[in-house]
Amino acid sequence: MVAGGGDLDLLFIIDYLQLAGWGRLVKMMNKWWFLVLAMVCWVASGFALFGQQQGEKDAAFSIGPERIVSMAPNLTEILFALGLGDKIAGVAAGSDYPPAALSKPKMGSFWQPSIEAVISAKPDLVVTLGFSQQRNLAQRLERIGYRSLTVNIDSVSELYEAIKKIGGVTGRGAQADELVLGVGEKLKNLSALVGGEDKVKVLWVVQREPLRVAGRNTFVNEMIELAGGENAIGPTVHKYPPISSEQVYACGADVIIEPAMVSNDLGSERAGAVKYWGGFKNVGAVKNGRVYVIDGDIVSRLGPRLYEAVETIASCLRPGLFEN
Amino acid sequence: MSTNELLTGKRLIGRVAFSVMLLAAVMFVCSLTGAESVSLKKAFGSVSTTGAINPDYEIFMQVRVPRIVLAAIVGAALACSGVVFQGLLRNPLADPYILGISSGAGLGAVIAVISGFNWMLWGRSPIAVFAFLGALGTVWLVWLIGRLAGRSNVTSLLLAGVVVNAFFSAIIMFLTSIARSDQIFSTIFWLMGNITEEEWFILWLSGGCVITGVIALFYISPQLNVISFGQDDARSMGINTPAVQTIAFAVAAAITAVAVSLSGLIGFVGLIVPHGVRLVFGPDHRQLLPVSAIVGAIFLVACDTAARIVVAPAQLPVGVVTAIVGGPFFLVLLIRHTRKVGWLAK
Repeated sequence: MVAGGGDLDLLFIIDYLQLAGWGRLVKMMNKWWFLVLAMVCWVASGFALFGQQQGEKDAAFSIGPERIVSMAPNLTEILFALGLGDKIAGVAAGSDYPPAALSKPKMGSFWQPSIEAVISAKPDLVVTLGFSQQRNLAQRLERIGYRSLTVNIDSVSELYEAIKKIGGVTGRGAQADELVLGVGEKLKNLSALVGGEDKVKVLWVVQREPLRVAGRNTFVNEMIELAGGENAIGPTVHKYPPISSEQVYACGADVIIEPAMVSNDLGSERAGAVKYWGGFKNVGAVKNGRVYVIDGDIVSRLGPRLYEAVETIASCLRPGLFEN
Repeated sequence: MSTNELLTGKRLIGRVAFSVMLLAAVMFVCSLTGAESVSLKKAFGSVSTTGAINPDYEIFMQVRVPRIVLAAIVGAALACSGVVFQGLLRNPLADPYILGISSGAGLGAVIAVISGFNWMLWGRSPIAVFAFLGALGTVWLVWLIGRLAGRSNVTSLLLAGVVVNAFFSAIIMFLTSIARSDQIFSTIFWLMGNITEEEWFILWLSGGCVITGVIALFYISPQLNVISFGQDDARSMGINTPAVQTIAFAVAAAITAVAVSLSGLIGFVGLIVPHGVRLVFGPDHRQLLPVSAIVGAIFLVACDTAARIVVAPAQLPVGVVTAIVGGPFFLVLLIRHTRKVGWLAK
C-alpha cells in the first residue's frame, strides 16, 4: 500500500506469529489486512459481549419512593412543599429554601452534578430538570438502573404540570393539586387587584455589563404580566437580549428591576445599581427613582414560591397598593 | 538519557512495556480515588446478595472505571494524533485541532444543543453524533481546500485550517449569543472538555478504533520519520509522500474525531505530550507514536482524577486541569532537555 522500506524491523509481532507456526497465514495477508481483520473481530466481539444488555433492567418500582434526590433548587422547593422533606436524601448545591434543605447532603452543583454522590445517597427516585446537563444525568442513572423523573420548568403552566407530575410519582397527587390550586387562586386575586389599571412598563435587567435584559419569551415576562406590568422590550431573537444604551432611552421604562445575584447583600447591590443607573438620568424610571433591586432567588426560581415572586414584583410596580 | 542511542526493537519493546505498566498502575490508583470513598471489599465481597443495590459496586464498575478507561482512550488518541500533525506539518505548534477539527466538532455540538434534539442514536446523544460528523466534515473540507490550493503543500493546508477554524468559531459565537442560558452552559462545558462515564459497549468500540488507529500509524512511522525531515528529502528517498500523508491525516483525524465526540474539546494533551515524549526519548516516530499514546493516556487519566476530586462533589472541566498542570510541567521539560538535544533534535 505504501511504497518505501524500513519497516522490516517493526514487524516483530508478525515475526512472532511466524515463529509460532502461522507463517503461511501471515504471508497471505499483508499487515494491513491483518489490522482490518483484527478490528472486525474486535467490533464483533464487542457486540457479542455487550450488545444484548439493553432492557434487562425493568424492575417494578413501588409507588411511594422513600429516598428522593433533587437536582435543582426549585425542585427541592417543590418536594418540600409537597411534604416530602423527610424523604429527601440529597439536593443540588444552592438549595437553600426552605432552611431544612441546607442540612441535606449535596449532590454537586446544578450544572456539574456528581453521579458518584447521587449513587451513594442510594436514591429510589432522582428528579431532574429537562435541559441537557440534567437530562444527561438522568439518562446515565437510568442506564445503571436508577429511577429518574425529568420535568421541564420553563413557564408557569409547565411549573403547574411539573408539580402535578412529581406529586403523581411520589404518591402526593392530592397535595400537588392543592398546591397548584392555591397558587393559582392567589395569583387570580392579585391580578384582580392590579389588572384594571394601565400596564407599567418594566425593564428587567439580568446583567449590567454588558447590559442584558429579559425578553418576551421568558418566564420573567410571564411574572411581569401577572404582576400587572408589561415588558418594556419588544419581541427579540434572544431570550435575554443584550441591548444598547440607546434602547434604554427608547424603551420608555417606568420601572427598572434588577434581581440581585447575591441575595444576602442587597445593600451593596443597591449601591452599585444607583451608581450605574446614575448614568441614565433622563430615563423615566431613573428620574423618578424607580430602580428596584430585589432578592434574586425568589424571582429566578420557578417554584412553589411563584406567588411571593409575583407579589414582590407587583409591589415594585405599584408601591401604593401594597403599603399595608 | 541520551537520545543519540540507536533505537533497537528490544529497547522499544522495553519502553512500551514499562509505560503500559505505569499506565495500569496509574489507572488502578485513580480508580480508588474519588469524591465518595469506595471499598473494593464491599464492592466485590458480597456480590450474591438479594439483588439489593450495592452503591460501592455501582460507583466502581459503572461510574469510575468506565470514566478512567474513557480518559485513557481519549488521551491516547489526542497525543497520538498530535504526534502525526506535528510531524506532517513540520510545525511545533501543531496539535490535533490545528486543521479545524475543534471548531467543526464544536459547531456540530452547538447545533445539536441549540436545536434541542432529544433522540438517541445507538445510545449516543445527538451532541456526540453531530460533533463526530462535524469533525470529520471539517477535516475533509480543509483537506480539499488544501489540495485545490496546491498539491501536498503544507502551508496552504495550514492556512486553510486556520481560516476554516476562525470561520466556524465565528458561527459558534453567533449561535451561542442567541442561545438560552442553559444551552450556553451546556455548550461551554462541552467546549471546555468534559469526561463522564460511558457505556462499556461504547468504550469497547471507541477503544478498538483508537488502538487500530495507533497501530496503523505505527505501520507508517518509518515513512513519517522521513517526511518530518522535509517532503523533498522524502521524495528523493522514494517515498510515496501523498499516499503516506493521506493515510496519516485520515487516521489521525478519525481518532481525534472519536475522542472529541466522546469528551468535547480537551486542549493541551495533543500539544505537550508529543513534545514531552520527543524531548525525553527522541524524535523517532516508531517510538514516539506508541509511547506518546500511552503517556497521553496516563496524563489524561491523572488530570481527570484531579478534575473529579479538587472541588468535589462538583467537578472541574478536565481541559482546565490539563492546561494548569501540563503547562508548567512542560516548561520544565523544555528548559531541561532542549539544552541537551536542541529543538526537535534538528
